[in-house]
This record gives sequence, structure tokens and C-alpha cells, in this order.
Amino acid sequence: MARRARATQSYSISGRRAGDFSTKDAIQPLLSPDGFRLDGRRPHICRPAYLRTGAVTAAAGSAYAEFGDTKVIVSIYGPRESKKAEAFSDIGRLNCSVKFTTFATHIRGQLSQGIEDKECSSMLYKALVGAVALHTFPKTTVDVFALVLQSGGGDLPVVISCASLALADAGIVMYDLVCAMSASSVGRQLLLDSTYEEEKGEDGGLMIAHMTSRNEVTQLTVTGQWSSTRLSEALEVCLDACVKLGEVMRTCLKEAALGVPQ
Amino acid sequence: MAASGDGGADMEVEAFRRLYPARFYQRYLDAAVRPDARLLNRARSTSISLGPVPTADGSALVKVGNTTMLAGVKLEVMTPSSEGPDLGQVVVEFHMPPICSPQSRPGRPAEAACTITEQLTNALKSSELVDLHELSIAPGKAAWMAYLDIYCLDADGSLLDAALLASVSALAHLQIPSVAMTEEGTVIPALPETGISNHLSNDKHLQQPTVSEQRRLKLGAIPWSLTCALYKKHVLADPTAEEETVLHTILTVIIDSSGRLVAFYKPGGSIPATTNIIQECISLAKRRSKELQRSLDEAITQYESET
Repeated sequence: MARRARATQSYSISGRRAGDFSTKDAIQPLLSPDGFRLDGRRPHICRPAYLRTGAVTAAAGSAYAEFGDTKVIVSIYGPRESKKAEAFSDIGRLNCSVKFTTFATHIRGQLSQGIEDKECSSMLYKALVGAVALHTFPKTTVDVFALVLQSGGGDLPVVISCASLALADAGIVMYDLVCAMSASSVGRQLLLDSTYEEEKGEDGGLMIAHMTSRNEVTQLTVTGQWSSTRLSEALEVCLDACVKLGEVMRTCLKEAALGVPQ
Repeated sequence: MAASGDGGADMEVEAFRRLYPARFYQRYLDAAVRPDARLLNRARSTSISLGPVPTADGSALVKVGNTTMLAGVKLEVMTPSSEGPDLGQVVVEFHMPPICSPQSRPGRPAEAACTITEQLTNALKSSELVDLHELSIAPGKAAWMAYLDIYCLDADGSLLDAALLASVSALAHLQIPSVAMTEEGTVIPALPETGISNHLSNDKHLQQPTVSEQRRLKLGAIPWSLTCALYKKHVLADPTAEEETVLHTILTVIIDSSGRLVAFYKPGGSIPATTNIIQECISLAKRRSKELQRSLDEAITQYESET
């Protein structure tokens, strides 16, 4: 059975004009002349990441993820009874909700009082639902709740990776872990795992959610300007980063299972 | 520990705990000890860390046992009201996001969250922890509005205690930035008095003198809170979520650092509180306030040594 068919793919490519990057070349404050980014990284290096399972004791499973300035907690509840209003379903349901704290952004309530959290929730659902074995918990719901404590850019990929780690911690059957990564195209450069400032100044953005062992993509979003060569370079770099992130996530789960102090 | 003599000699302890929680607790409490090995009058170990969220002007992460609270203060400039032209304002909101417990679901804020918001607002106001004159920038023109948001990350009982401690710690960590005021009365961040202004020659705002320097917020008498659960004649300090559901009677004492009673809540419950019990709770709260004061002082010393 082709599981790939279940994977949700969402494309939104707007205004792809190859080679038209000249406008931003004049001012390029995101990258120093000797090739370092504002936080001292090289263009193809990820932010320092810290992952831990079991952050919330009240939950069935939970995880905390910190990628640079982006800090996220995800907890999983269930499988438990679906809401009364939901129609009968002989496969399980996945219910995702992402919230931002009011102090997550520099301006208070920038992300917590708008529609951003709804969009994030639906993107999280689409990224995960293809990886979860829904038939293993028929008629019930698994709740995936995320809270972004601090938003430092690339929030959605961090939430997705953290949520798949939390699902594994809760013992929910999955086909594979989902690892997500984003990249920005700025001028002639490709910046992997972009920060808030880099996302603001980007010409084009890309986010990919990847099941590394199965080598399948659950979600791919491309926005802004990309040349086709740049896009394939970005995909390659992101997929490579996802594979490495997947290894880190597996180590984290193994250590938790063996009781190694984290 | 098998549940012998209760019709379930072979029952596992965990199953017994879930099926007969009241009897499970009765056995422990009659022996004056609790399932987590605490004595009845002991609170859980508490840790405070200051400044975990750099995007907030003041923040603190507090853990009391498993109960975890993250509090953050954001400052915004407002025009003071005509009744208090030299007063700032503190707005408190307590959030229980769905991550914190199986009971809280997305949607409207839970009733418990609204109650705690109200109790926190009252405690901060009546203890006069924040002198609102301190938050004034220019009388009649501008003042600070401090938004204090407390997020419960893990709910395991005694939420008000942890939320109040997190609020106090975040306010203790709050740095009020130095600001200048333009001729039109707009408040702008003051730039350090180095040669930077030379680069921005057309900006006449920079000549404006600094109205207020960067400083810590001075705190008044700090309110400390202790929640107790009542069982027969026993008083259990700092109950967990499980203890709160099994022992229906909950009682909260808030006292300030000079020992004055700030608030006292006993929202119903099956056990009436006698004067003896009330006095015992107050003396437990006094002892707890000393412990918490020490934790906060340590957290502040540690934070200052790191920066």
C-alpha cells in the first residue's frame, strides 16, 4: 500500500522569477562579507538545538525543543474519547493546536492574538497526519498541543519536529519520525534554518517536513522567489539537515528510554 | 504495599490507587506520611530561574514539584488616566494553555484560570508589591503599562502558589528601560550617550534628555502563598493535583513578607475549618514564606552573578 498517497503536500509558489535577485544585493546585512550570518553561523549550518522528552508530567507524552531563540513545548493527550460533536470515525483522529505566549515576540501579542496560531495548527496537522498510524486508535482522538514560549524564527518546523518527538514519547504508533527544516533564499545565498530576522529579509522561503527513514516528504511549502536551481539546492540541503536532525531525535528518544540523565 | 484485607489482596498498588483513591490516601495519611514521601506539613522542592525569555522585559520560570509556571512582563507606554496622572498600571492574566493538563482544552479560558487571575490581581494590589508611582514616565503624559502574563506549563496542584511566586519573580527581574521624550510627547528609547548620534544627523529626537534611567523595579512587601488540603484533623501543605481531587477541602493563605495576612480563601469543601486549623495554616504559610524568600534571594544572586 502506498503510504505516500496519504502524505499531504501543500505547494504555494508565488511569483517565481529566475535570476531576479538583484534588488537585495545592494544591502545585504544578513551576511557579512566573509560569509558569516548575524548569529555567527555559516549559511548551511543549523542553529544549536536542544531536545528533551518528558517536559510535562501531566501529559501522556511531551517534548521540549529549543533551536536558537525558538523555544517550544508540545504535549500529547490521549488516545481519548472524541468530542461528542464529532461524527463517528472508525479510524483515529489527530487534533492539533498551536498557541503562542503573549511575550513570545518583541511586540506583545503579535502572534497570540491573530490568526497565525490557527494557520500553524492546520500546517502542523497536515505535516503529522501522514506519519501517524491512525488505524491503531479507532474512534478516539489524540490531542497534540503546542505552546511557543519564544518565537525566534522557523517556529513551524520546530513545532513539527518537537510534536513528532512528543508523539513518540507518548507511544503513539507512527510510520516514522517527522523532521522539519526551513531555509531562506536571500540574495545569492541560501540560509539554512533561518532566524526571525532572516525570514523577514528573505526573497523566498522553504519549509519541508520529512520522514527520514522512509525518505518521504509529508509537507513542502515554498513561498516567494526561487530559481529552479536554487530550489533544488535548497531541497537537498534541507533534506540533508532533516536526516541529521532525525538522528539527534532518535538519540534523544533512546537516551530517555534507557534512563540516561539528559 | 499490597491492598490486603480490602478485597483486593492481589491488586497492584497502581490499580488500587486509581480505583480507590480515597482509601489509598487514607492509609497513607493515617500514618502521617504522603505517597511522595513528604511529611504532611512539608511543601515540595521549589526552584526559580530568572530571565528565561529574553523577548520579555522581565521573566521567571518557577517549579514547585511538577507544577511549572512561566511568567513574563511586557512594558508598553500608555497615557495615564486623569484620576491618576502619575500612576502606571499592572495588568495580570493567568493562562492555562491546553498543554498543561488533560482537563484544559483549547477554546475559552477555563474557569480555574479566571479565578486565579482574579486572586493574583487582588494579592498584588492589596500587598502593594508594585508602587504604581514607580511606573510613571512623565506625569500626565506617559506611564508604563506592565502586562504580566503567567502561563501554566504543567499543572500538578497548588497553582495559585506557583503562579504568585512566578509573578513576584518576574517583577523582581523586570528591567525598566531608559527612555527619552520628544517635543510632541512621544516616548522613544534613549540611546546610549556615545558617538552614535553623529551618524543620524537628521534625527533631532536624539537631543532629547533621558526622562528615566534604566532601573530595576523596586518591590514593596512581597505576598507569599501556601495552599493546604484538609483531611480529618490533618493539614497537608502544598497538595499535588491528585491530593486536591481526593481531599475536597482546599484552603489558601497569602501573607506578605512582614507577616500580615493579605488573603485567605476557603472555597467550600466538606470539612469546616476550625480556628485551630486556620491558625495552623497561617503558621505553615509563615514558615513557607521564609523558604520562598530564601529561594528568590538565591535566584536573584545567581542571576546577578551570571550577568
